[in-house]
Amino acid sequence: MTIVKSETTPYLAAYQAAIDTTEPTWLRVRRAAAIEQFSVLGFPTRRDEAWRFTNLRRLTKAPMPPAHPATSLPDPDAGVIESLRLAGRVCRLVLNNSAVVAAQSSGVDLPAGAWFGSIAEALETRPDLLKAAFATTDPAGNQPFAALNEALFTGGFLLALAPGVSFDAPFEIIHVNTDAASHPRCAILLGEGASATVMEHFTGSGAGWNNIVTCVDLGVGAKLHHVKLQTESPAAIHLAQTRATLAQAASYDSTVLSFGALLSREDIQVVLAGEMADFTLNGGYFLGGQQEATFAPFVEHRVPGCSSRQLVKGVIGGQAHGVFLGTIAVRPGADQTDARQTNRNLLLNAGTSVDTKPELEILADDVKCSHGATVGDLDDSALFYLQARGIDAATARRMLIGGFAADIIDASGAGETIRQHLHRHLSVWLEHLP
Amino acid sequence: MTNLLEIHDLHARIVGGRDILKGINLTIKAGEVHAIMGPNGAGKSTLSSVLAGKPGYEVTLGHVLYQGHELASLGPDERARQGIFLAFQYPVEISGVNNMYFLRAALNAVRKQRGEAELDAAQFLKAVKAKLSLLDISEDLLKRAVNVGFSGGEKKRNEIFQMAMLEPALAILDETDSGLDIDALRAVANGVNRLRDPGRAIVMITHYQRLLDYIEPDFVHVLSDGKIVASGDKTLAMDLEERGYAHLASAA
Ligand SMILES: Nc1ncnc2c1ncn2[C@@H]1O[C@H](COP(=O)(O)OP(=O)(O)O)[C@@H](O)[C@H]1O
Ligand SMILES: [Mg+2]
Repeated sequence: MTIVKSETTPYLAAYQAAIDTTEPTWLRVRRAAAIEQFSVLGFPTRRDEAWRFTNLRRLTKAPMPPAHPATSLPDPDAGVIESLRLAGRVCRLVLNNSAVVAAQSSGVDLPAGAWFGSIAEALETRPDLLKAAFATTDPAGNQPFAALNEALFTGGFLLALAPGVSFDAPFEIIHVNTDAASHPRCAILLGEGASATVMEHFTGSGAGWNNIVTCVDLGVGAKLHHVKLQTESPAAIHLAQTRATLAQAASYDSTVLSFGALLSREDIQVVLAGEMADFTLNGGYFLGGQQEATFAPFVEHRVPGCSSRQLVKGVIGGQAHGVFLGTIAVRPGADQTDARQTNRNLLLNAGTSVDTKPELEILADDVKCSHGATVGDLDDSALFYLQARGIDAATARRMLIGGFAADIIDASGAGETIRQHLHRHLSVWLEHLP
Repeated sequence: MTNLLEIHDLHARIVGGRDILKGINLTIKAGEVHAIMGPNGAGKSTLSSVLAGKPGYEVTLGHVLYQGHELASLGPDERARQGIFLAFQYPVEISGVNNMYFLRAALNAVRKQRGEAELDAAQFLKAVKAKLSLLDISEDLLKRAVNVGFSGGEKKRNEIFQMAMLEPALAILDETDSGLDIDALRAVANGVNRLRDPGRAIVMITHYQRLLDYIEPDFVHVLSDGKIVASGDKTLAMDLEERGYAHLASAA
């Protein structure tokens, strides 16, 4: 007999209330397995090594099951969306607590073999694609938040490009979240030789909880530039899992910038499953007040000859807390692996804290692996140098912090428009520094 | 004509340390070029740091007047905006901050103080081009991060280039000649000579006489153990070349 953790009861009830018999059988089976897994696992605790630095009290203290039936939330303000979106030709989807806002989304003519839309729409018109998205990734993988997402998701987006299809304009997804609990399920599936640029922006208001799972599946030689900008409300909880699988010679260039949310976590799990596959992560957490953010990339080299680079930087002010838990796992036989991982932290004042644990597990031969972490303050001599040229202290500080963080944006291969977009957000954040 | 800078019995130290400057007196007028020479450890960089307002130093006695006003109450950025420029002995590398972006921010801060309109990107570029040709600096340096990956000579040239852009009233060059080969020294000296101006005073700090072959000073001072132990014209520098600092230090 399995023991159901008591804190999961409200979620079990929400799951049961939401069971939709019109869903395909395979999905209902998956959901049933997932909620069972969640009810056994419960929420992680500080005894779990991977969660020992994360304070989940707000989630566990007061349950936040999704409302049922889903209350219809007012559409986000059109002006706000307009100020957020990318300039130029873009294929855009706006999601309001994971449900699509048709009026603010805009398509461009997609080439044959490309499909882009909401999960709900995929379920209706292309269940085959959705099934493919589930087939290629592990089920919840013993991770309670992923299991809960699988049991409860109602929305999200799906992008699928058939082999050989590439698309020059970015796919942009603006996720708006309010006070609600939301469990978006997202998937990016690129067939052999396909290529795409995806820009996701998470924003919102209120004290909601966003529990996201994104599956990325890259076929042989496929290329994805994936940018995530997280500027959720300062009271929000943002927990995100990205699970990527790369086939031979596939390349995944990921940029993740976290500015918002009271509590946020990026679990980025990448499996290099085909030889010559390449993964790049440029990450940044920019924290103030009582914010707490965790970056937990787990990069698994399963086969020989793959490369991965991770550079994650943190700028931490106020009484904020940054956490980096990075692992490079080189499996037996994955010889000639080239893997690097760096975490650098800039503490803006006393009272901040950072926990950084870069880890290597190497079970192969002839590998090139490096990892390292630094924690430091602003350089006083650099500050004086700028001031000695007439630049006031506050501006000089912002310049140095911006300079510290600039390379994680500049390294993105997602194109100049997106890089400028990210730089603008960084500038806005810097302007608001105390 | 009023004095640009008056240093009266200046004693200063690194906070909590013992006095490094032990009673400096010096008066500088606009248009003059002064050389301050002295052995390593004499306090030359300390003097330039105190004048530029570097945090961590404190004046324990005496005071400094700049354009007739007490310098002590001004922060380093205010001093710079009011026309004091320090060319660093060791220019600082600042990764991620573009040289042009930095210099435009600096120039606009200075211009604002002078009541001049700020320059937009195009106007700034025009101003840069004009000064570049004056100083023989490769444009490529400007596209990089501030001083990052610059050779020793490039860093020093970049300092003089910044001086040319900011047009200070008082320029203090701390060992701008050190670490330069003869060609770089010539280029830097030419740049400085072109920036000589009746409205501008230049203070060159060096411990080699070599620089003074290229930039002829109006006055030469010898700093030793925190005091000016001799002052004269350029013949003093030649004298030092022959006889060294030792006899002056002991005479003090
Ligand atoms: N950061 C420091 N901490 C302690 N002492 C210092 C520091 N910098 C310089 N000094 C001391 O102050 C004195 C003067 O140094 P400095 O002004 O650099 O001399 P100069 O530039 O003439 O070579 C020397 O005795 C030196 O050892
Ligand atoms: Mg010195």
